[in-house]
Amino acid sequence: MSSSNAAGLYDPSYERDSCGFGLIASLDDQPSHWLVRTAIVSLNRLTHRGAIAADGKTGDGCGLLLKKPTEFLTAVAAQAGIALTPRFAAGCLFLDPHEPQAAHAREELARQLAREELEVAGWRSVPVNEQACGAEALKTLPRIEQVFVNCRMDVDEATLNRKLFLARRRAEKALEGSDTKFYVASLSASTLVYKSMVMPQHLAEFYPDLSDERLTASVAVFHQRFSTNTLPQWRLAHPYRYLAHNGEINTIAGNRSWAVARGPILRSPLLPDLTEIMPLVSLSGSDSQTLDNMLEVLLMGGLDVLQAMRMLIPPAWQTVDAIDPDLRAFYEYYAAHMEPWDGPAGVVLTDGRYAACTLDRNGLRPARFCVTRNRHLTVASEAGVWDYAPEDVVRKGRLGPGEMLALDLSTGQLLESRDIDALLKSRHPYKTWLKRNVRYLESDLIDPRLAAEPMDGDTLALYQKMFHITAEERDEIIRVLAEDESEAVGSMGDDTPMPVLSEKVRSLYDYFRQQFAQVTNPPIDPLRESLVMSQQTQIGPECNIFMPVPEHARHIVINSPVLSQRKLRQLVGKELGLAHEFIDLQYGGGESLREALLRICRQAEAAVRAGKLILLLSDRYLVQGKVPAHALLATGAVHHHLVRAGLRCRCNLVIETGTARDAHHFACLIGCGATAVYPYMAYQTLFDMMSRGRMKLDAPTRLEFGRSYRRGIRKGLFKIISKMGIATIASYRSAQLFEIVGLADEVVSLCFPGMVSRIQGAGFEDLEADLRELAARAWDPGQPLEQGGLLKYVHDGEYHMYNPDVVLTLQSAVMTGDYQRYQEYARLVNERPVSCLRDLLALDSDARPIDIAEVEPIEEILKRFDGAGMSLGALSPEAHEALAIALNRLGGRSNSGEGGEDPARYGNERNSKIKQIASGRFGVTPEYLINAEVLQIKIAQGAKPGEGGQLPGHKVNEMIARLRFARPGVGLISPPPHHDIYSIEDLAQLIFDLKQINPGALVSVKLVAEPGVGTVAAGVAKAYADLITISGYDGGTGASPLSSIKYAGTPWELGLAETHQTLRANDLRHRVRLQTDGGLKTGLDVIKAALIGAESFGFGTAPIVALGCKYLRICHLNNCATGVATQNKVLRSQHFIGKPEMVMNYFRFVARECRELMASLGVRRMEELIGRTDYLRILTGGTAKQSKLDLRPILSAAGLSAGAAQFCLDERNAPFDKGELAERMLEDLRGAIEKRSGGTFSYTVANFNRSIGARLSGEIARRWGNYGMADTPIEVHLRGTAGQSFGVWNAGGLHLHLEGDANDYVGKGMAGGKIVIHPPRGSTFVARDTVIIGNTCLYGATGGELYAAGQAGERFAVRNSGAVAVVEGAGDHCCEYMTGGMVCVLGRTGLNFGAGFTGGFAYVLDLERDFVDRYNHELIDIHRIASEGMETHLQHLRGLIERHVSETGSVWGEQILNDFRSFMGKFWLVKPKAAAIDELIESLRRAA
Amino acid sequence: MSSSTGSRTLAFLETPRRDSDKLPIEERVVSWREIYTRSEPAAVAAQAGRCLDCGNPFCEWKCPVHNYIPNWLKLIEEGKLFEAAELSHRTNSLPEICGRICPQDRLCEGACTLNGELGAVTIGSIEKYITDEALKAGWRPDMSHVKPTGQQVAIVGAGPAGLACADVLVRNGVTPVVFDRQPRIGGLLTFGIPPFKLEKEVVERRHELLKEMGVRFVLDTEVGRDLPLKKLLDEYPAVFLGMGAYGAVRGQFPGEDLPEVYQALPYLIANINRQLGLEKNPRDFIDLAGKRVVVLGGGDTGMDCNRTAIRQGAASVTCTYRRDEEHMPGSKRDYLSSREEGVEFEFNTQPIEIVGDGKVEGVKVLETRAVSGPAARRGRVMTETVPGTERIIPADAVVVAFGFRANPPQWFTEHGIEVQPDGRVRVSRSKERPFATTHGRVFAGGDMVRGADLVVTAVFEGREAARGILNHLRQPVS
Repeated sequence: MSSSNAAGLYDPSYERDSCGFGLIASLDDQPSHWLVRTAIVSLNRLTHRGAIAADGKTGDGCGLLLKKPTEFLTAVAAQAGIALTPRFAAGCLFLDPHEPQAAHAREELARQLAREELEVAGWRSVPVNEQACGAEALKTLPRIEQVFVNCRMDVDEATLNRKLFLARRRAEKALEGSDTKFYVASLSASTLVYKSMVMPQHLAEFYPDLSDERLTASVAVFHQRFSTNTLPQWRLAHPYRYLAHNGEINTIAGNRSWAVARGPILRSPLLPDLTEIMPLVSLSGSDSQTLDNMLEVLLMGGLDVLQAMRMLIPPAWQTVDAIDPDLRAFYEYYAAHMEPWDGPAGVVLTDGRYAACTLDRNGLRPARFCVTRNRHLTVASEAGVWDYAPEDVVRKGRLGPGEMLALDLSTGQLLESRDIDALLKSRHPYKTWLKRNVRYLESDLIDPRLAAEPMDGDTLALYQKMFHITAEERDEIIRVLAEDESEAVGSMGDDTPMPVLSEKVRSLYDYFRQQFAQVTNPPIDPLRESLVMSQQTQIGPECNIFMPVPEHARHIVINSPVLSQRKLRQLVGKELGLAHEFIDLQYGGGESLREALLRICRQAEAAVRAGKLILLLSDRYLVQGKVPAHALLATGAVHHHLVRAGLRCRCNLVIETGTARDAHHFACLIGCGATAVYPYMAYQTLFDMMSRGRMKLDAPTRLEFGRSYRRGIRKGLFKIISKMGIATIASYRSAQLFEIVGLADEVVSLCFPGMVSRIQGAGFEDLEADLRELAARAWDPGQPLEQGGLLKYVHDGEYHMYNPDVVLTLQSAVMTGDYQRYQEYARLVNERPVSCLRDLLALDSDARPIDIAEVEPIEEILKRFDGAGMSLGALSPEAHEALAIALNRLGGRSNSGEGGEDPARYGNERNSKIKQIASGRFGVTPEYLINAEVLQIKIAQGAKPGEGGQLPGHKVNEMIARLRFARPGVGLISPPPHHDIYSIEDLAQLIFDLKQINPGALVSVKLVAEPGVGTVAAGVAKAYADLITISGYDGGTGASPLSSIKYAGTPWELGLAETHQTLRANDLRHRVRLQTDGGLKTGLDVIKAALIGAESFGFGTAPIVALGCKYLRICHLNNCATGVATQNKVLRSQHFIGKPEMVMNYFRFVARECRELMASLGVRRMEELIGRTDYLRILTGGTAKQSKLDLRPILSAAGLSAGAAQFCLDERNAPFDKGELAERMLEDLRGAIEKRSGGTFSYTVANFNRSIGARLSGEIARRWGNYGMADTPIEVHLRGTAGQSFGVWNAGGLHLHLEGDANDYVGKGMAGGKIVIHPPRGSTFVARDTVIIGNTCLYGATGGELYAAGQAGERFAVRNSGAVAVVEGAGDHCCEYMTGGMVCVLGRTGLNFGAGFTGGFAYVLDLERDFVDRYNHELIDIHRIASEGMETHLQHLRGLIERHVSETGSVWGEQILNDFRSFMGKFWLVKPKAAAIDELIESLRRAA
Repeated sequence: MSSSTGSRTLAFLETPRRDSDKLPIEERVVSWREIYTRSEPAAVAAQAGRCLDCGNPFCEWKCPVHNYIPNWLKLIEEGKLFEAAELSHRTNSLPEICGRICPQDRLCEGACTLNGELGAVTIGSIEKYITDEALKAGWRPDMSHVKPTGQQVAIVGAGPAGLACADVLVRNGVTPVVFDRQPRIGGLLTFGIPPFKLEKEVVERRHELLKEMGVRFVLDTEVGRDLPLKKLLDEYPAVFLGMGAYGAVRGQFPGEDLPEVYQALPYLIANINRQLGLEKNPRDFIDLAGKRVVVLGGGDTGMDCNRTAIRQGAASVTCTYRRDEEHMPGSKRDYLSSREEGVEFEFNTQPIEIVGDGKVEGVKVLETRAVSGPAARRGRVMTETVPGTERIIPADAVVVAFGFRANPPQWFTEHGIEVQPDGRVRVSRSKERPFATTHGRVFAGGDMVRGADLVVTAVFEGREAARGILNHLRQPVS
């Protein structure tokens, strides 16, 4: 993907999608037209999960995959005069509208079919109604035809499908390049696809076939798409040939890379020659399409759907202790040959034999199913997609994480996960195979010798200098890893130049920026959800998955890719008998770096051909006169060379290098193909520090520094992969999930082909010069170890943009109010050594200046300035309020940050106009949301994108605790993902929720720059956000691991330019305001940001510095001596000097500088500047590396005319869904709210009525606050299936009673009131065994009550901080991150109950007596309540159940009460370890 | 920045700043010993532990030699004395001396984030402690890696600039040969700074250390008089000049030539010569015992004169200064010590004449007041005299401490060594050859380049010049 063209940064390959999906199947394999019709109805009721183009008609795609409608096909073929043989296949093709091309494609396909001895019986032009299409879709409407293929009867259906597959692949390859329209939607003897670019309501209109009563099917898979782009692509509509997918394959990059590498070793007797049809999977475009391709290969090779899907998307098996050993063996056996294709993924599929649905290990996509009395199975993203009568439901349920549901159409059996697993594990004696063949390299408990051959002082110094270890890195990074078993923590942002801009020698690893998940996929919490994570690494050859034989289990298994000396010795020692090749990375003697790498590749290839299993790439033995080629360059080059040679799967790359020390280094090496890494310099350095007494030795185990260091790295690696939403190191290996900033194409194409690299930069020559400089210092014994300066300012070290001069000059300017002092500051900043990409862009000096009086006044400019989100936990209240006051007085907007806001600030000048909604949802109540002009959803933060946060207990004082609905002194966790945003359509839902509760507010979404952020932003615009913020990598933080601050996120210049270009290209720019933040310091920064495309500007650090912050980077320690970033009373009251006036001075100065610059450019209004990249000129850099940069893509207009909108023109980005029911309800209830009179009302609901209640809660909170109406409640009775977010942000005084069931997010953010849900009268299913509410209910609730007579989905009461709830069963991760409130589960819970649970308590009924295996033991303990001294709890529990029964009429609740004495011994009281039992009820009483 | 160290993050609040103990005043004024006493290791570690370890180490930034202050504070906190000494010497050739005499309140400690109500970390005394204690415990600079190049460089002047230059050169395998006209090394360190601030054993110990490291000294030899520069240029590939600035700044008012009017430097030197037993002629000694002394000037030299006079037994010592207390240029610490020891201060006071008939009777002064102007905005307070405020401060002797300026010798011109109009030597500021003079092989640094300035800036320039010299030796420029 490396590109050097000037075409801009928008790349369609970044496109992401997500959606609503489902299937309907007849249990008896009875085809019916009813089924087809019902599928279309269901699809239509998922419209809100898709997206719509600007024309209001074109959808992002929807369609149906049907089991072959044989009768219909026979009939229409006959009508078209096509003679079919008894065994025939049909296909649906998209062809070029031009007949000659279409004819050519038809001929090609016929030719290839003929090679398989198949005959084209004829072509039928599929009738379509163009009226149903929007203008956008029409532009690319293909010719849609069905092909009919006849086949001899002696060929069975499976063989016929295989022939069709081979013919199709060959035809595709033949037409590749010459015919871009040609696309085979389906070609099969078993299935048929109808799909198009219309909205679901128009699908049947578009394809008259679908309304044809003769069209009957026994299975229909349906799908509605939400794409992040608006440029429609017919072929990317789902379903694909086998499946439809909701979510995203996070691991797709690694999966594609391995699919290519693995091609040469795949052989099936059924598919003798695969070379003809390589590549087996598509390497670009949609991830789902690639998954479909891979699934197809596995099926064609002879696997069945069950095995193929369990192999591709396995459940988490490595860390689940209770798993059946035979089943574990099945997964482990295949894990050696196939890495997981992890989601978030919900997949529905059919191959004609099975109709199935699978969720990945995290279960982040909803899948609800029901079996109805008419013997049909319905699975869909939501419950209630068609109107079955309650009494017709035989069974309802949901799929949990890692679960699969399959209907075997040949037997009518409905197989659940355990049935499928039982079937699979018994097919071969996997356990025996593994036992005989696998060697586990366990680390010995005591590995006392960090380094068996410690280096002497001189050698150590030589190596440290050669590999550029500084005293700073030694003391602050390496030492901390070993002492704390985790990464060092720091604060503030990265204010050093990107390595390509630096004038210093920088590590090659610094050029690599980690990618991270945002919006279209979620990051994982590797700490609280560690059960899905694994770093298990296999060493051994990969083998052919189609041939299950014992020998293929011959592997060495290690639990981590980071090797100890002992493990490395074992691997390359004689004992295991693994053949290995030592490859020295050093070169010299006139050889260039490039030549050396090529030589190393040749050596590697020869070694593999000679049968070497392990290639040991090493820089361990330095020789004077030579320099070591960087291990990362070599790893990448060798990996790709071996893939090209078809040899990669036959060997393992083990890297012995001095360059690897922190977790990022390991991630780079593994991400570029390393199997395992031996970091000898980390060990040597630790050994040296230990022997010099520089390590903390406070416990005997601490002596194990090597192991402690590896644990630290392990956590760091988990953090990095989970940031991308990846759970296993196997899926991360060689996925190349980085953006390179600043390497030349020559380097990228040799070592990292396919990795994103957009602006060129250092070439081999420059890297070599760096190496030589290091070598010269290294071999000169007089040169000391460098002190460092990357983390902190050090004289003569790396440049820091917030160095002491800058900080002190700014402070003196704002304190004196002297503009000349400000100008001195601005000069220091604007004329600094090149540190940011924008420093290489100058304002166009040829512009004609105007008189400054003609430029708009500074008040107009100040309106565009916002404070960046900084929470009250991070800042002291004094600093936080000073910022708010200053910005309010200036007409800008301050940002509450995460963590709520004191209601005393509402309605006066201390109010933050921007209220942030972050993943912790702390203090997000209806009243909080009402008191905002802008509601900002913080998806990611520049300093640590893709990661959660933690407010340590010592910072949680009385006030913070009150605002966050927590207890003082208890640590609070913000999860890495928003648990209600796992994909783009989820974000659309959250935006809808926010617009329902506060229709007057603009909704903003904060993203962090990375490749593809523009496309994500386009999706966000289509999800109806009004404002988008693009943050640079350099944003600040109150606390974050240093490696996150340093290595993730890219400069905002790239992200902003990409976003601006993408929004324009997709005709969305006029719908959203675009803001940028990250290191903005002066008016020049503002002007440059405007020219690149921003119309609004966020400031974090600079106004804080104006308030007295001295950039001490100790925010995380709560000891900020300037009183800015601390909750310490003494420091706040005696040492904080900030005043709002200082901040006002700062912003006025910046605006004044903007005006001066605008005058010099001859521009009167800021709007005239936005997107005008022609006012920017690229400077030639001062260093060799700088001068090789190509910044043209940033300035590109991407071929768009100047006429396309450059900034937001629309007042508001109003959702397509007008929420009509909610509006009607408000009309009916308005009087009752205004008069605070209460009342009773009734409605019916359906799944497309979303966020019901929010509109009312907003109006209640606006007038009466969160709790003001509690005494005069409104009772609303509803019937049916409620859409998502039922009762979201429910305010006190709103009681929702629902007879029926509900989807995800029930009671999310609830502050008060009551939600009651029970099954419809007449239901026949057992309520307590049936799911009644979906996933992530009560997320971030702060109060209120919820009673649900049935089971809840995953993550029930996640981050609950005050609600009281009773349910009858729950999925995985129940009560995760809970900080308050009370949850009672009258039945089984899923795994990982109570992870990160720090406050509140729970009762769990444990009939199976296995709860002890299902809860997370880290923070909570469990107690029997039947024992002595627990009477209060017993009474309390009983009272709760009585309440539950009286509210819901729960049959199960009544049963428990009737026999309470028998049940009470089976209840557990669950509480945080830190809380005393006696306090619990008391605290609940207080909260209520 | 690391979270690992386990140090108490609020140590700076919980442990107050505590300076080293001073001798009781009554003992101080009758002795020439240093007034600060030795600190206990635990107390030093506790003070070091107060460091916040700022992301922006303002101390290091402000320090003219950019000492790695937070880093050696951390080492001291951890009890790693030798490593601290090694690190301290990475940036400073005379750390134990700078620790004693730097005006820390204007430099590192003044910039310390904690400075103010919280109290800056006691950087100066810890710096002194490190080298003093390390040397006592047997530490010596590690010269084991040094490979002699066989080259020699001449250094003229054994003051701070010359010694710093020698230190860097010898650590890079070049043998420095240091010439000085005095019988002892140190320049003003020995002869200018009174022993109660810097005991001469400290300089002597440094002398021994440098000799052990391989520096050669040729003392009692004045270049330009005993030895022409030409000879050095013939024998050495490069020469460093660090000859200081000894030209006294005069008051330019009547009465300055009266017999009891003394220039600061001769006064201080004479006193030290007596202390060290180096007096050539007892008549050179200036004895102010029993006299009413007025010292003119509020800088460091003024303070030295004040406190020397006190110790000599002056009847009274009055110090006049043109601006107010807040804007005194010298070290706050020395000012406070002066007050403690009994010196009277007259601020906003400008002498306009020394009155007396053949002998000093008093100093005529005018009151001054601050005026605003462009310079004031840059933090410099300008003053003007207030007419009609004339008065006379009675005095038996006056010491003029208005500062020093460069006094380039005549022979510079013959070697093409150019100077600025005010006599300071012109040097290159290039990255490759810093501090080269206009003579290609002659380098210069310290007061003769900057004008009278701090010891630590002289150290910095000497060290930088050494880098220039090393580059020159590698790639000579003809």
